[in-house]
Amino acid sequence: MTSIDRTFVRESASALTLGLIGCKHCHTVSRLPASLPITRKHHKNVLRCPCCQAHLQSRIPNSLSKTWALLLAAAFMYIPANILPIMNVTYLGTGQPDTIMQGIIHLIEGGMWPLALIVFVASIVIPFLKLLVMAGLLLSVHFRSHWRPIERKKLFHITEFVGRWSMVDIFVVAILVALVQFGNIASVDAGLGALSFAVVVVLTMFAAHTFDPRLIWDAMETDNTKNTENMENKDKSHG
Amino acid sequence: MQQGERPQSQSQPETFLRVCQDCDLVQAVPKLRDNEAAHCLRCHSVLETRKKNSLNRSLALVLTGIILFILSNLFPLLSLKAQGIAYDGTLLSASIELYNRDRPWLALLVLFTTFIFPAISLLGTLFVLIVTKLHYQTPVTASLFRFLHSTEIWGMLEVFMLAILVAGVKLGDLADIIMGVSLYSFICLIIVLSFLSLSLNSNTIWHPDGHHP
Repeated sequence: MTSIDRTFVRESASALTLGLIGCKHCHTVSRLPASLPITRKHHKNVLRCPCCQAHLQSRIPNSLSKTWALLLAAAFMYIPANILPIMNVTYLGTGQPDTIMQGIIHLIEGGMWPLALIVFVASIVIPFLKLLVMAGLLLSVHFRSHWRPIERKKLFHITEFVGRWSMVDIFVVAILVALVQFGNIASVDAGLGALSFAVVVVLTMFAAHTFDPRLIWDAMETDNTKNTENMENKDKSHG
Repeated sequence: MQQGERPQSQSQPETFLRVCQDCDLVQAVPKLRDNEAAHCLRCHSVLETRKKNSLNRSLALVLTGIILFILSNLFPLLSLKAQGIAYDGTLLSASIELYNRDRPWLALLVLFTTFIFPAISLLGTLFVLIVTKLHYQTPVTASLFRFLHSTEIWGMLEVFMLAILVAGVKLGDLADIIMGVSLYSFICLIIVLSFLSLSLNSNTIWHPDGHHP
């Protein structure tokens, strides 16, 4: 306990190194019990916030591997999402499959370029940039980069916020399917591309959820990490 | 875990400890006044906010939101008229039609993001706010509010609004588009929801008396 108080005086240490933990829901600060080792790995005992009973975690367990897994799965699904048709438009008996890009081209041909731009950004640019940005963030954390942590954190929050807007194409298909049903004259069906695209959006949203931005700052605190390791060693020697 | 143990110095009652959720920095935050926000010293993310009259404003907005949500579901959002036949599209018909056309997973996703999550969010928030207003909080309210907090991003009504716009333009040259009654209430609903997210402050729920642990 004395080591905790000493580090606290410097007022620039993370909660983990001080043996504290903040609740993400009610913001109550609790002390990590001494019986549990302070490590970044998953521990079986579940800590609960004394104020709101939320599950407390110093860091998301295995954040990097989980995020990589979800991200790679999303990147893999990104291929069928762009190749397979997201909808089949049947007009007077002849079917015409439409991929995401073809839908955008149709909008431009119809002179709706502002809308085409929105759909292009939401369906092509955002998912692609999201995959790139998340991979970049993961790599920067992996190599313990010290480069612009505030900007990286902002980039992460923008990615997290903007991801849901990619759902717009799925909703457009859903509305078209619901509205266009004139029997043999015209009908719209959702294609497999829509399903793949929905999977990409959902997986990248989960990937943003499992990424722990606190890991960006852990790399900045190299000297404090040494403290943690010392404390861990102390724990081990006592126990 | 030891219950209620607070590593806080007793000599300074005007500040309390906060841990930044983005960078894990521990810092002392002064007691905030209305419409003030405390930012992290290291990464500038918001640590704590206080909104003026948050509870009552949120309650009013949630009630408005529920009424508008019911209205948005009662009447068609868009109608398509071609060759004398009109087809009505409601909020729910999008997922029902997808299900009928053998796309059950897409139907489920659309149903959850445009109906179930927004509905749970509105009703749950109303419940939590009423319970807080009556000073009758239970552990169930706490877990419900935590659930609402973590599923917030899965309600996608505003994304659906953009989709209505895109679909409307796409269909414009194919047939006549008639804006349904519900479209107006749906637009109002999205405005009300964005005001709600501005006025609702989780601090009001966890520490209703303005008392910070």
